[in-house]
Amino acid sequence: MTKLRTEALRKSFGDLEVLKGLDLEVTEGEVVVIIGPSGSGKSTFLRCMNLLEEVNEGRVIVDDVDLTDPKQDINKIRQNIGMVFQQFNLFPHLNVMENITMAPKQLKDLSGDDARTLGTRLLDSVGMSDKADAYPSSLSGGQKQRVAIARALAMEPDIMLFDEPTSALDPEMVGEVLAVMKKLAQDGMTMVVVTHEMGFAREMADRVIFMDEGLIVEKGTPEQLFGDPQNERTRDFLDKIL
Amino acid sequence: MSTKRKRQSIYGLLFLAIMLFTGTLSPVRGQAEEDTYLIATDVTFAPFEFQNEEGEYVGIDVELLAAIAEDQGFDYELAPMNFSAGLQALEANQVDGMIAAMGITPEREESFNFSDPYFESGPVLAVRDDNAEITSYDDLDGKTLAVKVGTTGAEFAAELAEDYDIAISQFEDSATMYEDVLAGHSDGAIEDYPVMAYAIQQGLDLRFPEEPELGDEYGFAVNQGQNPELLEMFNAGLANVLEDGTYDEIVERYLGDSSEVAPRSGFFGLFQANFGDLMTGLRRTLILTLVAFAISLVAGTIIGLFSATPSKVLNVIANIYVTILRGIPLIVLAFFMYFTVPQLFGIQISAFTAGIITLSLNTTAYIAEQVRGGLAAVDKGQLEAARSLGLPYAVAMRKVVLPQAVKIMIPSLINQFVITLKDTSILSVIGIVELTQTGRIIIARSYQSGAMWIIVGFIYLVIITLLTKLSNRVERRLMRND
Repeated sequence: MTKLRTEALRKSFGDLEVLKGLDLEVTEGEVVVIIGPSGSGKSTFLRCMNLLEEVNEGRVIVDDVDLTDPKQDINKIRQNIGMVFQQFNLFPHLNVMENITMAPKQLKDLSGDDARTLGTRLLDSVGMSDKADAYPSSLSGGQKQRVAIARALAMEPDIMLFDEPTSALDPEMVGEVLAVMKKLAQDGMTMVVVTHEMGFAREMADRVIFMDEGLIVEKGTPEQLFGDPQNERTRDFLDKIL
Repeated sequence: MSTKRKRQSIYGLLFLAIMLFTGTLSPVRGQAEEDTYLIATDVTFAPFEFQNEEGEYVGIDVELLAAIAEDQGFDYELAPMNFSAGLQALEANQVDGMIAAMGITPEREESFNFSDPYFESGPVLAVRDDNAEITSYDDLDGKTLAVKVGTTGAEFAAELAEDYDIAISQFEDSATMYEDVLAGHSDGAIEDYPVMAYAIQQGLDLRFPEEPELGDEYGFAVNQGQNPELLEMFNAGLANVLEDGTYDEIVERYLGDSSEVAPRSGFFGLFQANFGDLMTGLRRTLILTLVAFAISLVAGTIIGLFSATPSKVLNVIANIYVTILRGIPLIVLAFFMYFTVPQLFGIQISAFTAGIITLSLNTTAYIAEQVRGGLAAVDKGQLEAARSLGLPYAVAMRKVVLPQAVKIMIPSLINQFVITLKDTSILSVIGIVELTQTGRIIIARSYQSGAMWIIVGFIYLVIITLLTKLSNRVERRLMRND
């Protein structure tokens, strides 16, 4: 069953067209990894999937609902799409528990006790339950990103978007974040991941998308894309980074 | 929806509570209180009106009005303000009458109706006691004269300026004018003879090189066509107090040989003797500051948020507000609120209310700018993270962006608080007796401006230092988590 679909998606910043008509279908439980050189538009593409970026043309459809339709309540739809950012974007004025429980308290009228139960469960799942009362400034990068994942899960979304989740981390912290993401994938979460971690792509992706200059150049299983890339640009890119 | 409405009504009640607490609503005179007349007088014009050390208004005008009111059986409330402000207040129907040793002149009769004259006077030239240079009007070429705005003395100085090459400095109250001569900025002052004579008798080092001019008569004034019954009562009462000797008693008390000479106290004596008045003035300064700042904090945040929203309409509204309110000097805004607004809309506003509104409008503009800057300084990833969770824009701003912006803004807000506190002194021009005006009033009866301004300055310094220390402590507590 199709969970998320983009149709002829176009996006410009001023005169510069960064997305030039993108079609993508993600089925339920699928893990799609988007790779490509910087400036290829992959982050912008991801940010269009929950309309953090305004779309100029085309449609984004999640669970048969068109997000680009102004009549739709975008806030309602976004509750179902978690997002994890490169720079974590934890709320520095709230402690770890409050970071996670703020949205469910505001949007689901969750009581303090219920919210705390939910927060504890999520922190457990990312291995951060001992830091519930800590403030973000006292955490390492890896810990921050794990809290950010727990926060993105707090509204119990069906889809998770990851925007280069390990790019801002020191190398020794990449593993702990990837481990959390793997567990999420194994539990059947629908995921779209923009990343430079080819190991993760190879191991976890159901499909890999290669983007360049605002277009999807090639897509396929990890075996196809990494083992036998068809397009010259894909080959060039993989040669450079592997 | 219901929580939103509840919150709005809480803000409304809070605002009302503040207004009631500070009494800003109560002084507005409604129909029910029509029997109490509001009479403007000058703040500092001994021996006609001035505050004694007990903080009561005394003087020839004050006692004469009291005697006439008692004789005629009407109630009144005295509203001391600078002379020119009093004239404007009378013209704007902010007050019902004015008694302030006001000479009856043809120009004034065009705007006001005057009572029968109750005192004969005329302007006189005064120079420093040790000034040997000026012995007559002929010595005034190339000299500077101090006058008080809107007085017959100012008119006489203008006449002199036609014959001699004279520069004129204009002042708002008599005490400042005397000090200007004593400090050597002006070579002489022109003032009504009895007032000057009284000041010299009280120890002011001035002398008269020429005989006083004559032909000026003081009258009680009402606005053209307003309160005719008040004028009638004044005239009838004046005739009675002249008849029964009360009038002579009053004049004798202030201008007779037996009138008391106030002792000149030292620095600490001056502070001690006026401690009560100074603290009352300080309290009013603090109330003005706190109320205006509280209102501005709410309003400034709203307008600051306007300029941060994606809505172009709200951006423009915020921009217009800030441009206008930052572009008008506080003193002009104060005059506009107190004199122009009542004339435009036919309403009455107490000076205190006008002062609060003025200060709030002004401070709101500056706080709005600080809020805008604070919001811009918060990383835009914060808003994105909040929106990606499904929080609506308003909730995301309130729960995520604004709290962080406030932390960034705290140092500049403390700074703004200090500025607002000091700006309250400007409101003395519309007759609010805050700390600065209290200082002026004390100088008017003690003639000790040198020591008084040191005392007033010191009080401001101490209060602002204490408040800054307190806010820095609050700031440190808030910053602890970063």
